[in-house]
Amino acid sequence: MRSTLFAILVGLFGAALLHIIIVLALPQFTGRDAYTRVFGLLEMDSFFPLTAEPGATGLDNSDPYLRTAVCSFSIAEAPARFIARGAVPFWSLSVFDSNSNEVFSMNDHTAVNGSLDLVVATPIQLVELRKSPPETLAQSIMIEMKDDEGYAVLRALAPLDSFGEQVRNFLVESSCEPFRR
Amino acid sequence: MFRIPLLVALALIVAFGGGITSAVWALKATVGFGSIAIGPWVAFPEAQTASADPYAKAHRARAGELLFGGAEGLIFTAATDDSGARLSAACSYDISGITPPARFWTLYATTSEGVTLRPGADLPSAANSWTVLRAEDSSFVVHASPVAHPENWLAIRHSGSFKLVLTLLDTPTAGSSGLIDLAMPKIVKTGCGNA
Repeated sequence: MRSTLFAILVGLFGAALLHIIIVLALPQFTGRDAYTRVFGLLEMDSFFPLTAEPGATGLDNSDPYLRTAVCSFSIAEAPARFIARGAVPFWSLSVFDSNSNEVFSMNDHTAVNGSLDLVVATPIQLVELRKSPPETLAQSIMIEMKDDEGYAVLRALAPLDSFGEQVRNFLVESSCEPFRR
Repeated sequence: MFRIPLLVALALIVAFGGGITSAVWALKATVGFGSIAIGPWVAFPEAQTASADPYAKAHRARAGELLFGGAEGLIFTAATDDSGARLSAACSYDISGITPPARFWTLYATTSEGVTLRPGADLPSAANSWTVLRAEDSSFVVHASPVAHPENWLAIRHSGSFKLVLTLLDTPTAGSSGLIDLAMPKIVKTGCGNA
């Protein structure tokens, strides 16, 4: 009897240990985290507009009034530049690294002239950009990202159906490209 | 003769069974620590950041959702009404009051797993701060119900329980540490069935 109790006690101790290991290790092997899903769209370097129905990797527009576009990018070789222009009632952009941690987020009120012009670079690329700033980047917001890979989420608001086309154009004309001088 | 192997097997079953079940349960039950709860509404303003706790990181890696950044907005979800009872798709609810300061807000219903309910293009399935009809003091009442209602009707075509999602866009609430007194709309059950 005592040894049965002892076995259960050892089991509970093991369960607690396993619980901690699972929770800590899970982010590395779920295979369905947000970065994997965005990357799985195979749309490097351009914004991919999501639909109301879940797409190939299970991403959808969950909010009926927000249209979302995603882009996975890599800054290993060159900085990434995000541009979007157009009149929509509201837009917002978030940049995440490959562990889905937020690196930067902004909306149209925090942008210069209300249009999106953002450069994401590694610390080394950023030093070079600051040393000799190209003229095309005079208005750009520059942010630093330590991770080489990541994804960006651009959301635009269509509070009424009549805004649908405007918002669609905004997302289609937005770009997410490597920046080369 | 088989006592020792049996005890070892028992310990292993308890360890693996208990460990896996408790981890899965913990990740299903909550999004992590650090929530803001105002009445039935719950939000996780730090779930997308690097400083999120391990449960929040494991949960977001399993859910794979595109989370809102700090400058984008904050999502409040309610799975219960003000009395603490689960939101049932067979019942009618009044969502009334005002929202915390935000440039824009949207309100829609999801299944208990978080999939957006889309009852069809001819039914009003969501409300937002531009289109909602308000009282003179700018408060509003949204009727979430399976039966048609005048004024603001949020059509629910579902069975079982559902959740309400209120998204505040560009809101100071996201960066707030609970210092501002936030007022969220009340969710009150007004009746069940077709009555």
